[in-house]
Amino acid sequence: MTAPAVATPQARVPELGAADVPGSDVIADAADGERTIVAFLCRECAYSAADAAGNARTPLPPTIRTIMVPCTGRVSPLHLLAALADGADGVYVGGCLEGQCHHRVGNFHALDRVAFVRRLLESVGVEPERAAMFTMSAADTPRFVATARGMDATIARLPRLPRS
Amino acid sequence: MPLSARGRQIAGELRGATSGVSAGVLGCEVVRHDELCVGCGRCVSACPTGAMRQDDWFDPAQLFAAPAGTARGALAAALRRIARHEPSGPFRVPERIRTFRGILFSADLCAGCGACVRACPTAALEACSVPVGGVEAELRAPAALGARS
Repeated sequence: MTAPAVATPQARVPELGAADVPGSDVIADAADGERTIVAFLCRECAYSAADAAGNARTPLPPTIRTIMVPCTGRVSPLHLLAALADGADGVYVGGCLEGQCHHRVGNFHALDRVAFVRRLLESVGVEPERAAMFTMSAADTPRFVATARGMDATIARLPRLPRS
Repeated sequence: MPLSARGRQIAGELRGATSGVSAGVLGCEVVRHDELCVGCGRCVSACPTGAMRQDDWFDPAQLFAAPAGTARGALAAALRRIARHEPSGPFRVPERIRTFRGILFSADLCAGCGACVRACPTAALEACSVPVGGVEAELRAPAALGARS
């Protein structure tokens, strides 16, 4: 007699690995030949601006995929590089204006991490423009739209990112 | 300084001391395994003589050597997928990046206390015991006496 296969609660908990960082799942639906840009947006400022842009039905580039983060200080170099490695052609971080981070220094940490990722990309022969950081206030919807379009134009000028 | 009778007794007990055991001034030699280093800087804060310090530069080759399954290994795996060539030389690290920095070790300042080895969470530092007889002979040598007086 064989025991019935019962899934224990532990068995159903997925293993959280390095591949499960945000950015891996949202870029899979991009059509062939279409570029994808992943935007990590801070909940307090950039995401609010993006939300307002959506509510106003402002046309945004179809390449942008937004991910809300509690603070840009949460974004690590691995988030940016994993998104690039898994299919994104560009990544950017949208945070609060300098000195206006709701967690005091999160956007400064993000600025330095993006700079680090840019230098890392440069050292392996990838265009550093593929990673960027923008700051904006929650009410600054035009700036969000402008940065999204600007990033889209920057990535459109670059060739597709080859992966091995 | 010649060893006292008690010192000679301790030296005898320390003969063949295993790695990780601090041998005080008789010392250990610190062997570094940079590929295991995660850049946490605990060795820097543990070092009593300032022989360990964090660099302003980072070599991406160190990232590529990191073992799979670690945070640095995951970062290297992602980078390797989009890399067009092998990483070029070290680059200057932005101010707020704390962990992705090289650790500089100056052997001249090292007292061989082994504090960094005990502080290292990833066993990237290894203490190799110096043959005690060798140290004793060195301490008794006229050159050493001259240098110390």
